[in-house]
Amino acid sequence: MATAIYLEHYLDSIENLPCELQRNFTLMRDLDNRTEEKKGEIDKLAEEYISSVRNLASEQRVEHLQKIQSAYSKCKEFSDDKVQLAMQTYEMVDKHIRRLDADLARFENELKEKLEVSGYESPDGRGLKKGEGRGLREKRGPRGKGRKSSDDDSPRKKKLKNSPELSESLLPMQPSDVLDMPVDPNEPTYCLCHQVSYGEMIGCDNPDCPIEWFHFACVDLATKPKGKWFCPRCTQDKKKK
Amino acid sequence: MRRLRRGCRAGVVGLDMGRGRGRGRGRGRSVPLRPPSPYRLQLSPSRETLTYAQAQKMVEVDLDGRLHRINITDPLPVITEDEMMAQDIVECNSNKENSEQTQSRARPGRKPPNTKSRRRESKNSSHQSRRSGGHTQSQTNSFQNPSHHSPLPEPTFRVLEAPCPLDAPPLPPSYYRFIEKTGEEQDQEAEYDMDEEDLAWLDMVNQKRVCEGHASVTPDTFELLIDRLERESVLESRNQALSQSAIDEEAFCCVCLDDECLNSNVILFCDICNLAVHQECYGVPYIPEGQWLCRCCLQSPSRPVDCVLCPNRGGAFKQTSDGRWAHVVCAIWIPEVCFANTVFLEPVEGVKNIPPARWKLTCYLCKQKGRGASIQCHKANCYRAFHVTCAQKAGLFMKIDPVRETGINGTTFSVKKTAYCDNHSPVGTRRDGSGDEAVEGRLVGGRGTRGQRSYTQTPPPPPRKKTPKGQKKGKKSSTRRSTVPVLLVPQIPSHRLNKICTGVAVQRKNQFMQRLHNYWLLKRQSRNGMPLIRRLHSHLQAHKTAEQREPDEKLSAAMEELRYWQKLRQDLERARLLVELIRKRERLKREQMKLHQAALELKLTPALILLRSTLDQLQEKDTPQIFSKPVNLAEVPDYLEFISKPMDFSTMRAKLEAHAYCSIADLESDFNLMVSNCLKYNSKETAFHHAALYLREVGGAILRHAHRQAQSIGLDPSTGMHLPDSPNKHGFYQCTWEDVDSLLDPVNRLHMSTEEQLKALLEKLDVVTSMRSSGGRTKRIRLLRREINTVGYKQQRSQSINGKEEEEEVDDEDDEEEEEEEVADVEEVEEKEEDVKKEAVENGLLTSDSTPDDSPPTLEPSCPVSSLLPGDTPPEPPVLGLVSAGRRSPGRSNKRQRSSRSGGNVRSDNDAEVSETLKPSKQEEAPTEVCSPETPSPSTNSSPPVGVGRRTSVLFKKAKNGARLAKNKVSLQNGGSTEGKNNGLDSTPIAPTPPTAPTPPLTGSNPAPPTTAPTPSSPSSHQLRSRGSSSEGEGEKTLPLLVKEEGLTNGLGKHKDDDPDPPSDDQKQSTPPPPKRSRGKPALAKVPESQNGDSGRSLLLPFDSETELTPLDLVWAKCRGYPSYPAMVVDPDMPQEGLLHNGIPIPVPPVDVLKLGERRQKETGERHYLVLFFDTKRTWQWLPRDKLLPMGMDDTVDKLRLMEGKKPNVRKSVHTAYDRAMVHLNHVMNHVKGNLTFNPSNFI
Repeated sequence: MATAIYLEHYLDSIENLPCELQRNFTLMRDLDNRTEEKKGEIDKLAEEYISSVRNLASEQRVEHLQKIQSAYSKCKEFSDDKVQLAMQTYEMVDKHIRRLDADLARFENELKEKLEVSGYESPDGRGLKKGEGRGLREKRGPRGKGRKSSDDDSPRKKKLKNSPELSESLLPMQPSDVLDMPVDPNEPTYCLCHQVSYGEMIGCDNPDCPIEWFHFACVDLATKPKGKWFCPRCTQDKKKK
Repeated sequence: MRRLRRGCRAGVVGLDMGRGRGRGRGRGRSVPLRPPSPYRLQLSPSRETLTYAQAQKMVEVDLDGRLHRINITDPLPVITEDEMMAQDIVECNSNKENSEQTQSRARPGRKPPNTKSRRRESKNSSHQSRRSGGHTQSQTNSFQNPSHHSPLPEPTFRVLEAPCPLDAPPLPPSYYRFIEKTGEEQDQEAEYDMDEEDLAWLDMVNQKRVCEGHASVTPDTFELLIDRLERESVLESRNQALSQSAIDEEAFCCVCLDDECLNSNVILFCDICNLAVHQECYGVPYIPEGQWLCRCCLQSPSRPVDCVLCPNRGGAFKQTSDGRWAHVVCAIWIPEVCFANTVFLEPVEGVKNIPPARWKLTCYLCKQKGRGASIQCHKANCYRAFHVTCAQKAGLFMKIDPVRETGINGTTFSVKKTAYCDNHSPVGTRRDGSGDEAVEGRLVGGRGTRGQRSYTQTPPPPPRKKTPKGQKKGKKSSTRRSTVPVLLVPQIPSHRLNKICTGVAVQRKNQFMQRLHNYWLLKRQSRNGMPLIRRLHSHLQAHKTAEQREPDEKLSAAMEELRYWQKLRQDLERARLLVELIRKRERLKREQMKLHQAALELKLTPALILLRSTLDQLQEKDTPQIFSKPVNLAEVPDYLEFISKPMDFSTMRAKLEAHAYCSIADLESDFNLMVSNCLKYNSKETAFHHAALYLREVGGAILRHAHRQAQSIGLDPSTGMHLPDSPNKHGFYQCTWEDVDSLLDPVNRLHMSTEEQLKALLEKLDVVTSMRSSGGRTKRIRLLRREINTVGYKQQRSQSINGKEEEEEVDDEDDEEEEEEEVADVEEVEEKEEDVKKEAVENGLLTSDSTPDDSPPTLEPSCPVSSLLPGDTPPEPPVLGLVSAGRRSPGRSNKRQRSSRSGGNVRSDNDAEVSETLKPSKQEEAPTEVCSPETPSPSTNSSPPVGVGRRTSVLFKKAKNGARLAKNKVSLQNGGSTEGKNNGLDSTPIAPTPPTAPTPPLTGSNPAPPTTAPTPSSPSSHQLRSRGSSSEGEGEKTLPLLVKEEGLTNGLGKHKDDDPDPPSDDQKQSTPPPPKRSRGKPALAKVPESQNGDSGRSLLLPFDSETELTPLDLVWAKCRGYPSYPAMVVDPDMPQEGLLHNGIPIPVPPVDVLKLGERRQKETGERHYLVLFFDTKRTWQWLPRDKLLPMGMDDTVDKLRLMEGKKPNVRKSVHTAYDRAMVHLNHVMNHVKGNLTFNPSNFI
């Protein structure tokens, strides 16, 4: 295999990705376990409180309730940690993907050049092959392209899921592979329409937004808006407040 | 048949047609091999494909366990079974051509462009479709045949009454999706379907196995194994294919022995025998898609064919018209023979026309005699004969040239065929083509070897000659049999076989596998080695072609690598999706946790939460945040003297969090404590007092609501948790109009205490307001409100009475209360004033006016009032009258009576004159009467005393309580009665109000007024105090004494008071001057205070006491929709020519304004003050007392008012107005000051 050196490097870099994933997941699991424990504790405390509340002085009650409160705040801490970890993990995987995409683009370009230089192929043969590839791409292109690009920077850029230039640069190189990727039925859905991500997407600037990402079309956007953008639901809630 | 069904399904499912057809053809070809399948009326399309409309027109027939549907519009021929079979066969042979033609014609568009690389696989569509098409047609045709047999068979079909439940409209095509399985998926499952043959075989095998005591093999396993075998064979053949491809490169047409390949005339390869022919040479105008077989393989696959025209085998055959076979080349070269169809080059005709001579010729090449027909050398004298194929084999010169012949009939085109024996071959073409001369020769030579090759596979002719025909045939067939399968069915090595069967559990596996393998081999052979699974075959070929295209190994390696990377990319993508999902999950979990917490809190401490929200609501209502923090004792050091238990929202909250409250009631009590504290400490006119009142009102509603909620929730006060059983919702909201109405009737409430009444009424009000709006609702709300007010009165009055008895402080009398009592007082006032007037006969007008300050108004109203309340009036002592006089400033007392105001002056004058005579006597009587009847009224009057007592409290803010305390002291002192002087001093402040004094100085009647003035003023002042004393139960005697004393002191005070008057004296002739004086006093206040405490105080006090609003006072006036605005109270009765107040002109109210005021007062029955705003336009307004707040008394109050406006521009205008008012005040003050300094000296 005439592998490009950078790809080798990439392999090296990605080598410990599984380990890191593993580590993060175990950490999360650990946190989860602790949360569950706390929950159990809380339940016990609550029962205790209910059974004995009649005999408790008000200070004792306060104390008891405070115990529960502190347990809850612990739980909340754990949950926050977990979310943080998940986000970190995501960033990590995403970083690798980005790098791979870049490398792959380079690799493909080189491959193309090599082909042209060698000129081995009878032109029609190549054309044929190319044509085939193109046909494939065209057939499934829209979807694959959309997914690709959206997946690309989805969580990364807060503002816009995919900057157009990135998606464009990616597009030519991975017509085939991403297309081949089977549809994951568990793929997370976004937007008001509850569809998977595709095309350009915009993120709500409310950090607690339950949906987070929206298709441009679904929120009547054609271009990226300036400044902060809030999804229809969040704007509604804001107004209420 | 099968094909049709396939087609059907394919159509529905959306398979691409090419694929479906290809498959169908494959099946079609295999039909003859199968046992004849039972006749079918019509292929029943699967139910799903029927629309409702179609279903309606269908008849279902159950034949032989199969369901058939017949269209009801179709003519139904009646046939017997025998006939059926016969017809079937007949139909097979007839009618096929048409269908086939159309099919093949429809195809030209699909003809793929020919590439240089030759197509190995292609198919003769016509032959194919002829078969399958024929079958399908046969069915339909058979229906149309009239039956010969008359007896009608019993119809066995049944009519479906109810249409098939296929009502659903056809789904749009977008709902159908064909999902192609991936190669791996397909590899997983067994694709092979058993046919009848297999079933039969398996039955046999199973029977045997059962006999031997083994378990039978299931069809599923069978299918699986066959499938695996197929796959293996594909793998094998792939390897072979690679080797074969080399041959292909040099392929040549075995008809013309040429390897030339044009786009329009490609070389086709038979998929079975690998025969290579040109399209044109074999008559295949259109290249079929997929497989193509030569005629020989197609029509006689199992039996090798022999050419009737030559002894050689192999090569391209066609059938003759009589069903035998002949080489295409032979047919071309033998002159008598020709093709019936020159396009398709079949069938071969004219074999019978060959003369016997030709049959008898002996081929000089194969030396066989009497076998086939030979041609002779074209050389003129050469008679050497040879078989065409032999010649090809030998590489003789054979050439076909197109020739144009011009004859009588015109020009015709024909071909000229020339063939020479090796002796006469043209120059340079020798046998062996041993590479001599010309191009042509070489060519021919090349052909020779080709010819040899093309027929080498066939058995050499020599043995034929020796062996008898029958033997030959048998032998040959056997050899062929052996060769063909070997070629086409890849052998599967035994170790692979073992591997295949590892996956299945079958008893006696090896034995079974052996059998199965053999069976499979046979089956493959019987199908000419065609794979049993169509897909694999085509897949293989596709693969082959793809691989052929892969030119560069390096490139492919790179591609491979790329694929690897892309796979990695996919994996990463998957990982990212997963992580994203995890992230979402964790977020959800966090939310869940929060919810959980809230829920638990609600479960454990529902009471706390309710209390908290109630407290929040209460605090929300305290917008100025007066109550949010504890009272700052540093600011108000005396606070604790009055308030024993301070309370505020923050402490309440702290208590709440400490679970000190068990129920809403606890909270309410603290809330009430807080409000009452405020009411207690702050005097009535302060903003704090108002805020407290407001808060009490609003908070009451909130608390009531909370009570109800707590009730409906069912809270356990001891635990602060829900009661075990939910309370039955008593019909709080179910009250009807009747309930409300009955409650509205005071009679029905008699049994209740006032508090209870109030409570009940309030509750009803809540209920009614929460109801749906309707006419009845609004009406009842109004009624309820009114009722609540009256009850509130009563309550307050009783309270105030009680309070009075205990000590004098009755702080919060409402205006209304006072009104009522006022009414009672009024009469006395009248009388009193009359007395006064008597004394001051001369300037009756002046005195009468002056004494009451605003007296004229008070007087006039008094008349009607007295008539209204005759009962109350009589007992009232003159003191009361004084009181009213003293109180004159608070026009509020007159509110009701004021209604008839116009011409008040005149009347008053009259009255004054009339009553004057009476006065003295009354005064004397008054004292006696005072005590007894007064008790009810004092409360009302007590307010003025507050003002009086005020002097002791230095602080202006929070003055009320302080004032009250001071007042108490004062009253005590008064009670002592010994301190007449004190009283006098105290009274002095009040005295100013009766600025009767002013009149004397200037007017000619100067002497008189002083005298007169003292009397009236003193009583007024005294009366204020006296109230207190009287209430305390002090003897009536004291009163008179006091009066006298006061009179004296007042006199003194009056002098002081009078001092400022001089300026106003000018105006004295007009009634208003007195008010001015009072106005001026405040300005004086500070200065004189220092000078002479008494007078200073006296000056101050009137302002402090909220009750007294005299004309020309500056006030904060609150109009609806506007913030409080600086304004000046103006006496509506001022002279029309205008007047000067301390040298500052006061605008005269326009007539229409005055009229408006009268009307308004009539309507509302309240006294309204005429105010002049300090806005740029100087607008006028009539406002009730409670909308007015004295200005310039308290910095904080002023500041609050200034901040009241919500919009900046409004605030600004208020500011400017305030400034204007201050300027005005300063002017007035300066004047007064000057006067003051002056006056004393004057007086002295």
